[in-house]
Amino acid sequence: MSVPLTANHKSLQCHRWDGVLDWAQMLSGAGLITFMWMHMILVASVVISPSVMNAIAGFFESTGLAQVGGPLIFLLFLAHFVLAARKIPFRLEGQKTIWEHAKLLHHTDTWLWVVQVVSAMIILVMGAIHMWVVLSDLPITALKSAARIQSGAWIFFYLLLLPLVELHVGIGLYRIAVKWGLAGRSDRKGLKRGENLLTLIFITIGVLTLIRFWFLKG
Amino acid sequence: MARSLKFNIFRYNPQDPESTPHMESFVLEETDSMTLFIVLNRIREEQDPSLQFDFCCRAGICGSCGMVVNGRPSLACHTKTKDLPEEITLLPLPVFQLVGDLSVDTGSWFRELYDTVESWIHTKKAFDPTAKEERMENEVAEAIYELDRCVECGCCVAACGTARLRPDFLGAAGLNRVGRFLIDPRDERTEQDYYQIIGNDMGIFGCMGLLACEDVCPKHMPLQDQLGFLRKKMGITALKSFFTK
Repeated sequence: MSVPLTANHKSLQCHRWDGVLDWAQMLSGAGLITFMWMHMILVASVVISPSVMNAIAGFFESTGLAQVGGPLIFLLFLAHFVLAARKIPFRLEGQKTIWEHAKLLHHTDTWLWVVQVVSAMIILVMGAIHMWVVLSDLPITALKSAARIQSGAWIFFYLLLLPLVELHVGIGLYRIAVKWGLAGRSDRKGLKRGENLLTLIFITIGVLTLIRFWFLKG
Repeated sequence: MARSLKFNIFRYNPQDPESTPHMESFVLEETDSMTLFIVLNRIREEQDPSLQFDFCCRAGICGSCGMVVNGRPSLACHTKTKDLPEEITLLPLPVFQLVGDLSVDTGSWFRELYDTVESWIHTKKAFDPTAKEERMENEVAEAIYELDRCVECGCCVAACGTARLRPDFLGAAGLNRVGRFLIDPRDERTEQDYYQIIGNDMGIFGCMGLLACEDVCPKHMPLQDQLGFLRKKMGITALKSFFTK
């Protein structure tokens, strides 16, 4: 007896977009991770010398990367949020469900997802503020960055934004690797340890950079 | 000296209008090689004959006794009390319909799942009962067998964040089931056919990669690898169809 190749289930429509959106979510995340690493190289170069940072910033400026790339990164940032938000429960009922689930399960990766979501919400607001402040006052120079960090409550702003971004980036990279089968079950433990280490290193570099900015005088 | 174990057990009978969901405590002396299966039977025999829970094989094969043990979905027959603290909380598996106390209806859920993913070999060849069975490579047979080891206990589904948020999500058990047919040379379905079933947020693209399924599976099924394989496969299929149509 032969059986039809595909039965006519209502739910079995072609969902090409779901796959494309999943790719877009992953690629936008990977793009932002790469950007964050480059960003870290730029700002952390102030630890070596403000002139090194000015030279790198000058390069981005003279090639138009800051003027064009900056707003494009902002768009990518927004696009990544919209794509990833498809999985975030925005209704209280869903939020309560996932919170209770995480509390009950005592499972690190489930908690990491909660951290990813909560950090995403805060990064959305704080990252947008940061980008607006920087991009509306080009060119980027070490002294201007230092002046900002030394004024008002900006130091607290960055002391909060830094670990949130690094956590989000670290967890995101780990999640991409396990979700897309880039890391197998035998690699997972090592991958997680590597990610934790990388996150810690980046937070340390970031804190050192903030300290350097705090003491940098014109 | 034997430990005195306290069990906090969820009690509720949806069939009884008088019943309300509550926790009830039972105390038992621990014995050698004690499993939760033994505990629940002793409580039912010695303390409360109305306690409802499921079991069948007592050996981690039938998958009937899945329940949440101190927060983690596990099989009661596989869980030894010596690995647990003195106070143990037992809850029914979430996601599935509650029958009563610790008993849930995983059967209807899996029946619907198998209907949705069309969990059978799709072929145009007419079956000849007198013919010899078609041969396949040993590695292929072993790979299929590895994915067929699932006992449908529902632990992976109960531990899944997506399944808790989306009632239509197929869960690791469902996706693993599709993966089993995907590598079966007798099944004539194409990648596009599989994409129709799992190439959406109800299927593989709904998976958020929390991997609780991998971590709680009592049969240690290779769920992380399987989900990664399916995401890659279906992701490539999505791109192919996006650029060719």
